[in-house]
Amino acid sequence: MGIPPRLTRAEFTIIIYMTILEFKTACETLAQQYKTKISAATSATEVEELRVASLGRKGALTELLKNLKDFSIEDKKQAGPLGNALKAELTAVLDEKAQFFATQEINEELNKVNLDLTLPGYPVACGHKHPLSVAQDRMTDILARLGFEWAEGPWVEDEKHNFDLLNVPLHHPARDAQDTFFVDTKAPLVLRSHTSNVQSRYMEKHKPPLRIMAPGRVFRNDSLDATHSPVFHQIEGLYVDKNVSLADLKSDLTAFMKGLFGDKAEIRFRPSFFPFTEPSVEVDVKCVFCQGKGCNVCKQNGWIEMLGAGVVHPNVLKNCGIDPNEFSGYAFGMGVERLAMMMLNIKDIRAFYENDVRLLKQF
Amino acid sequence: MKILYSWLKDFIELDLTPEELAKKLTDLGIEVASMETTGADFEGVHVAQIVKIEDHPNSDHLHLVTLDKGNGVTQRVVCGAPNVAIGQKVPLARVGARLGKIVLKPAVIRGVESEGMICSSDELGLTHTRAHGILVLDENLPLGTDVSTLYGKADTVFELEITSNRPDLLSHLGIARELGVLLNKPVKLPEIKDISGQGKSLEVDIQNAEGCARYIGRIIRSVKKVESPEWMKERLAAMGLNPKNALVDVTNYVMFELGNPLHAFDLREVEGGKIIVRNANPGEKFTVLGGRELELTENCLLIADGKKATALAGIMGGEDSGIKDDTTDIFLEAAYFNPPTINKTVKKFAISSDSSQRFERGTDIEGALLALRRASNLLVQICGGTASEINDVYPQKFENETVTFTPAEINAILGTNLPVEQLKDIFARLAKEFDASAPVWKFKAPTHRRDLNHKWDLAEEAARFAGYDNIPVSTTRAHVAFADNPKGVDLGKRFANALIGAGFCECKNIDFIGESDLKLFGVDPKFCIRVKNALAQGWDYLRPTLLPSLVKNVESNLRFGNSNLKLFETSKTFQNMKGFPVENYTVAGVLTGDVEEEESGLMEEISSFAQHSNPVDFYWLKGLMQTVLRGLDVTLVPSKNVPVYMHPKISMDILQGGKVIGVFGKLHPLTLKAFGIKINDVWAFEFFTKQLEKNYSARDFKPAAAIAVFPPSFRDLSVVLDDTVTYEQLTDTLDKTPLEVEFFYHVIDVYRGEHLPAGKKSLTFSLAFFKKDGTLKDKEVDAAFARIVEQLKTHVGAVLR
Repeated sequence: MGIPPRLTRAEFTIIIYMTILEFKTACETLAQQYKTKISAATSATEVEELRVASLGRKGALTELLKNLKDFSIEDKKQAGPLGNALKAELTAVLDEKAQFFATQEINEELNKVNLDLTLPGYPVACGHKHPLSVAQDRMTDILARLGFEWAEGPWVEDEKHNFDLLNVPLHHPARDAQDTFFVDTKAPLVLRSHTSNVQSRYMEKHKPPLRIMAPGRVFRNDSLDATHSPVFHQIEGLYVDKNVSLADLKSDLTAFMKGLFGDKAEIRFRPSFFPFTEPSVEVDVKCVFCQGKGCNVCKQNGWIEMLGAGVVHPNVLKNCGIDPNEFSGYAFGMGVERLAMMMLNIKDIRAFYENDVRLLKQF
Repeated sequence: MKILYSWLKDFIELDLTPEELAKKLTDLGIEVASMETTGADFEGVHVAQIVKIEDHPNSDHLHLVTLDKGNGVTQRVVCGAPNVAIGQKVPLARVGARLGKIVLKPAVIRGVESEGMICSSDELGLTHTRAHGILVLDENLPLGTDVSTLYGKADTVFELEITSNRPDLLSHLGIARELGVLLNKPVKLPEIKDISGQGKSLEVDIQNAEGCARYIGRIIRSVKKVESPEWMKERLAAMGLNPKNALVDVTNYVMFELGNPLHAFDLREVEGGKIIVRNANPGEKFTVLGGRELELTENCLLIADGKKATALAGIMGGEDSGIKDDTTDIFLEAAYFNPPTINKTVKKFAISSDSSQRFERGTDIEGALLALRRASNLLVQICGGTASEINDVYPQKFENETVTFTPAEINAILGTNLPVEQLKDIFARLAKEFDASAPVWKFKAPTHRRDLNHKWDLAEEAARFAGYDNIPVSTTRAHVAFADNPKGVDLGKRFANALIGAGFCECKNIDFIGESDLKLFGVDPKFCIRVKNALAQGWDYLRPTLLPSLVKNVESNLRFGNSNLKLFETSKTFQNMKGFPVENYTVAGVLTGDVEEEESGLMEEISSFAQHSNPVDFYWLKGLMQTVLRGLDVTLVPSKNVPVYMHPKISMDILQGGKVIGVFGKLHPLTLKAFGIKINDVWAFEFFTKQLEKNYSARDFKPAAAIAVFPPSFRDLSVVLDDTVTYEQLTDTLDKTPLEVEFFYHVIDVYRGEHLPAGKKSLTFSLAFFKKDGTLKDKEVDAAFARIVEQLKTHVGAVLR
């Protein structure tokens, strides 16, 4: 702050000191003036010129602030913040306008690009799961969530585990060469005709409670045609514990089907016969395509036959060393192909084994 | 098996529509495969004769036809059929007649009243051919005859599928019994008059009591070989049988009715007045009906006389012992044969009959006598003759075991809460011998139900007759054990995911392979498991390698224009180790074409307008193997013994723990040619996972290694060296160079040719030097670089380029 100008008679000048009120008005006027100019600016250069004119070293604000030196202490306390606020305000408005022009410039540059977005994308290698794996993985995932452990058994199996322990009578047609493949090994062996061999294998080695699933390949002596294949896939389920009943089977299969087809899925039991279960049931699912009203998929029946199941036959438990009076269980077995054909609208079972990439790449 | 609704009604009162009945049967577990309506489903149609034909006044194709209905009464109808002619006898439906569901109303056709209708066979529901013209009947029929009597009554034929545990359902009586329990209605047996026998029957000697637990016989003399009555012929025809004569028809009729097969012998052919039930002598020959000669074994059960065999027990009569044109005296047999005994013979000779189908599943031993009495009644009634006494050889009366159980046990098996009274009711209907007076109930199944042996069987009966819909759905109640997946499964999924990530399509192939394919892959069939009853030639063995199937997949895909292929399969392969099967989880792949494939067959989605061709080569395949097998401790070395199907110079072994677990490389052009593949650049890999499983655990996680926090310094290194020096020899030296700092390297170029002397090559590496604990100084990097150059020169003669 300099020394006030010395007054001489000859050079008498009237110096009109600004009041704080006038300072405030001047600030507002300056703000208004520059905001109007900034908002009217048409280029980034113009904005920068206005920045210098308003906030620069010789700018309007600097000039105005020179008045502060003549203010009283009290007035200075008021005027100082006013000046700072004005600076901040103008800076913000200038920055915003500068950003606007910067963005505009970039966008103009980007808009010069001329790329035909409708041309096809480049090929990117991407593999595909086999449709049977898609179906099987879905099923095993759901069963795993329902607490089923993944168990396995050999595909080349002895008759003991494939038939005997499972209560299949000696003269049962399933044991015929017309139904089952026999192989030329030292001990007489067969290619397992169902995944149920895992039941007998597992129960021999484990004590209840046990809860397993056994997905895998099975073999039947059927010629390859639209609905039969000598090799196909099944998923076996087995639950043995105290007091396991047919109602547990219905509950778990209902949960399974809900996992597969959604919360509205419904099942029904129809009596049937299998040597390894008693009582035995066929399990139908309310047609998921027509909600039971009748359509082509369910052959106007409203229900689709999905799998065979039942309460584990006491002889099977006994044969595998489990006391049927202490424990009971249920078992089920379902065909993966059948389900995959239904879910994926595949009409011919041979399609699964032809491995034409035009089909495989759809999944 | 077929069931006629009308026949069923002989045994039980039913007022269900055929559709309702089908639903009930289905709910009981008797699958209805089909339903078919037969016979005349019309009323009020009579035979009339055309006496006059006039043109219709208002039509050029209709006629006014006057018919004689008999007794001189005539009637005029309007008829448009082209084939009307005077004198024809035709079916005339009067007003009020019922044709199926339609009742005929009076009609005025183009201004002329028609007092009825001359029917076509379609209109009567007899055919479904949309045949034009009226049905012309036999000219000898008396006028006024009810036409429906000519075609039999309307009926429904159900084709049922009977599960193997329920042979008792293979008859009308059996189905009626089942419905009787369900509907709580009595079952009436056919009326059988007691024939007081005259004279003795044949003597019976059962030499194999296990094979034949009961044998009943009776002679009927002086029978006339007449045609069966219409009602019987109709029913047999509906069952799908050609009626022959009453002597044969009656035995079939009774079998369909009661479920017990019967056999009628010509008495003249039973020599020595004695029936012997015995096993065949080894090598004994027997010619069955139809002329087929069988060479029997000791397991075959025969019906014989003193001299020769007359029937293959329960299966088929002999060529000579059957009913002949001049047969007058017959011997009628009803028996119980042991199911396995019959089954063995049926299987051995692939011979089967309605009779054997019942015996091999199990007939009602008590029902045999009823069947014999029913048949002799019918025979005497239809064919006349006199019956002898009945000779019933039944040494050990069969009875089912008594099952003891509590209603609580039944509910526990089913998970139901069926009321005790309901259960009591069901079991009382099922068996006469049922006692529920004590807390522990006693149930003895009737002889036709040998399948009810314990409480589980009875639980099923309770569920069936109470309805399976009564089984509740509650919440899942699971015992959960946290067990790992089998290692082979886990590893298989791991490899499948890696390969799918690399662009492979998963394949699934049938597990069979033929000898010629084995040879092409250098496998001796004696190390393979042979299928004894193979479905087809070329499917004789279980495949010891997945590659042949995949190569075939490549061939068929190429044929369909899919040219960029990356196919893999994970499945088991099989080996025969001195007669014992060995199963190995195996991963295999075959590939050809571009790395970034075009989506063949899905061209509309992704095309390759700007694609640079980047075909799969050896190093891509090797990189794939390194990626897929990363972290599994395998090493890749040039094959010691190159498999015959591989390129002799481009084949590497996959080693783990010193053992070869797989191979990869380029397929041999001759192998490709043998499979009909016309291109040469096809690559393949295959490895077994058994060895890998040993060191694998789903819960083994490698601890994370620290990553460098200070930035590395990069240098390029180009050296010239003899072409005979391998990359591996060079990197061995690099790896062994002792340095103060750490470094990584990778090869970025291999160059031969211009600017280099012959027999030389140049390799360029990118080196990255770093320190774990600080930033490198230039001096340190220079020192390390110089040391490397010096080592390479010393050990592999490489000079800085």
